Amino acid sequence: MIKKIVASRSEKIILIFLIILGILTFGTYFVIKNECLFVKNFNPKNINFKDSKNIAILNVSCGNVIIELYPNVSPNGVARFIHLIRTNAYENIAFHRVIKNKLVQAGDLKFGKKGALDYRKIGTGKSGLGTIKSEIDNKFSYTKGSVGLARTFKNDTEDSQFFIILQDEPLFEGEYTPVGKVLYGLEILKKIKNQRNSEYILRPDFINTFKMLD
Amino acid sequence: MNLLRAILLLILFITPLKANTIYNIIKIPNLEIYEINTKNKLKYFYATAPFRLGIQKNIVCSNSNKKDLEKKYKIIYKNLSRYSHGYLKKINLKYIVMCENLSISELYTAGIPDNIMKTLIIDIKFNEDYFERIIHHEVFHIIYLQHKKIFNDKDWIKFNSPKFKYAECSTCTKKISLEKYDKTQGFFSEYSKSTASEDMAEVYSHMIYLKKEEIDQISKLDPILNNKISYIKSKIKRIDDSFTF
Repeated sequence: MIKKIVASRSEKIILIFLIILGILTFGTYFVIKNECLFVKNFNPKNINFKDSKNIAILNVSCGNVIIELYPNVSPNGVARFIHLIRTNAYENIAFHRVIKNKLVQAGDLKFGKKGALDYRKIGTGKSGLGTIKSEIDNKFSYTKGSVGLARTFKNDTEDSQFFIILQDEPLFEGEYTPVGKVLYGLEILKKIKNQRNSEYILRPDFINTFKMLD
Repeated sequence: MNLLRAILLLILFITPLKANTIYNIIKIPNLEIYEINTKNKLKYFYATAPFRLGIQKNIVCSNSNKKDLEKKYKIIYKNLSRYSHGYLKKINLKYIVMCENLSISELYTAGIPDNIMKTLIIDIKFNEDYFERIIHHEVFHIIYLQHKKIFNDKDWIKFNSPKFKYAECSTCTKKISLEKYDKTQGFFSEYSKSTASEDMAEVYSHMIYLKKEEIDQISKLDPILNNKISYIKSKIKRIDDSFTF
């Protein structure tokens, strides 16, 4: 006669514990892998904007970043920025300079393009449209989420590169041409790939799309 | 070739991250904000630790103690407050760095102007007797660098007696006293005799520092300095018509 083996109470507890541990391990693997899991994505169609013609939607790996542009503050800078957005020039362009919780920078159209990255020259590329004059005289507070045009050490060298700051930077005021401010999605920008030891990023994240709302 | 590229990339990506806003803007390490909310929008920084600059790291300056900084900041602030935001913008001066024992290639100096980075580094431990005036002397160097086309050394040299010759450079002479001559004879100080641009800076700084009556009196008595003063006045007017000495 075969004797039926019945699991003891403690064995049942161990089994349940192992099953829970397995579920947790499996679940955590996906949670950690999906860096966008706890980041809220914004659908611009569900938002009412006061001035929809100056709204730009930057789409990156974790979702949409909604930016309001300020043509009254920097008319030429914003005009250049909108031109590049409307011509889809920023699509598949790298966030080549990222400082964790400080700023993200993109817009090197020449050396920052997906599939044609040039690590030796990234950050020095031009748009081919020529440089524009700095617009730094109008009052603008560089609070977190502000979008500005990058330049070389000299003024009047703005072109296509832009940065978005992730913390307040009062020293940027009067230094860089402001073009707008992030209305929604700043947390999404904090998920853009950064490197601990360098501002310049190996295998960087890219802009998926950048479009005007209208 | 590929190995060389790999090494270059490796160097690029393991360069230490200096995620400091001040460093990103003016490329000077170890600085903190001292005061940035000023009427003429000058931003004052101070060194928290010694720093080295330049391709050969030949510019050196040390941090100061809090008490010295407080004392000298007041003096620097008072003197630089006479310049409007508009004027500072035209001469391209925005950042003041305060540190001590400033030297270039082991030669001590009162200040280092950098018009490209809109920065003036000031040694707060520089000779107390001339400290205030020297602030304006260094401001002139920023002006001179920013508006090189306006100032002409050859025209300036013509103001002096034909027998007089400046030194080859400001550091290749022993004429370095900053004490104002009682009897000027074309020069405000011994240091004025070092180079044309140093002479201009001495004239400018005295025009700012001395009372108008004193400058008028010197102009009356010294025809060479009268020409030099008129020259500086006219050139500064070209840069900013609203500026008054």
